[in-house]
Amino acid sequence: MSRCQDFRESFELYALGVLDPEEKAEIDAHLRTGCAACEASLKNALALNAIVMSLAPDVVPPARLKRRVLAGVGVHPMSWSWLSALAAACILVVALWLSVQERSRAAELSQARHTLIQVSSQRDRLLQALSFLDDPSTLPVSFGKGQPLPPRGNVFVHSKLGVLLIASNLPPAQAGKTYEMWVIPKGGAPRPAGLFQSEGGGTAMHILSGPLDLATLGAVAVTLEPEAGSSAPTSTPIIVAPVAGP
Amino acid sequence: MLWKLLPVGLSYALLQVKLRFKDDSSLAKRLKDRDPRAMSELYERYGRLAYSLIYRVVRNSGAAEDLVQETFLRVWNRVQSFDETRGALGPWVLTVARNRAIDYLRSVDGKMSAGALELDRLETPVMFSNFDDGALSMDRARILKTAFEKLTPTQKQVIELAYYEGLSQTEMAERMNQPLGTVKTWVRSALKALRDDIAGEAIA
Repeated sequence: MSRCQDFRESFELYALGVLDPEEKAEIDAHLRTGCAACEASLKNALALNAIVMSLAPDVVPPARLKRRVLAGVGVHPMSWSWLSALAAACILVVALWLSVQERSRAAELSQARHTLIQVSSQRDRLLQALSFLDDPSTLPVSFGKGQPLPPRGNVFVHSKLGVLLIASNLPPAQAGKTYEMWVIPKGGAPRPAGLFQSEGGGTAMHILSGPLDLATLGAVAVTLEPEAGSSAPTSTPIIVAPVAGP
Repeated sequence: MLWKLLPVGLSYALLQVKLRFKDDSSLAKRLKDRDPRAMSELYERYGRLAYSLIYRVVRNSGAAEDLVQETFLRVWNRVQSFDETRGALGPWVLTVARNRAIDYLRSVDGKMSAGALELDRLETPVMFSNFDDGALSMDRARILKTAFEKLTPTQKQVIELAYYEGLSQTEMAERMNQPLGTVKTWVRSALKALRDDIAGEAIA
């Protein structure tokens, strides 16, 4: 028993692995005999050691350490708060995507409507132009023939439909300018007959709708005017189509 | 000195000890069943204690993080041999943590060791089976702290050298430039004082 008493004084150091080799060997040999009292003393020594170790000055580990530890054993720390954050992020992304899609669809729809209006308007103008060409009472007048690179084309006048101008070689008006058509009565001042632009390739079509007194009509002309148009020509006419009455 | 710093960490440490050992057996069972959340709980219970202990030994936060990771990996890999009914999970984790840190300290000092195998043997789960419920109570931790305060400076120093530097009594004698017999007396008397105070309170 006295040996057991001696051993009991060394169990803490034994459990810490700091006992000198000879003492350690003695204790190992004794424990192998199955001494219950010494086994219990060893447990007490382990408990004492654990309490001493738990009294080390408190230091807070960095938050990332938990993730490292869990990753080290192959556990992925997806806590509920992470899952919630992830779910919220997913919902936000989906909402943004839907919003972008919605805007994109709205823009496409608006563009389609705009195109439809343009096509419809062009179709109306062409039908209107055809009604000039189709009517035997329309009076055609050509202009610009024989000049080097002039605007050339035809003016069609009709007592009920008005004036149809079809021109080619008409360069695009420079910035801030527009073409303006004039209806000039015989011996009278030119009357404004609408603004227009030439299209790609230098072609232009312009219609003045409404009845005309062909008996008094002297000419149809086109000038280059400020963008807002003028009430009287401010430049030399580019096109002059004299109209000989019916 | 370490013990002057104790009050800072003490209340947290006592709280930790108090909270353990009641429900550790179900936690150990879930660890054995490979429940991933059990590992997270184990870290919540002992991660801070293990880090504090390891940091006290190695004095280097980067190394301490590595060693905490190694500690929990070791526990995870060996928990199948742990006796969840009468095993002491907390002391086991702390012992593994302390031994990893001491092993690191020795390898840095170039003392790659015969001691490494010995430490490994002393932290097997079997060593931490058959514990009495009361062995690690909060009362005992509080008593131990009080008992430490009553130790002499040299007694405190030898306890530090054993627990936090892993020195044998012969190594302590060299370090402190004292006769081996004197050092042994300090160690024996210090441990006896701690043991007796705990035992005395337990009887009382």
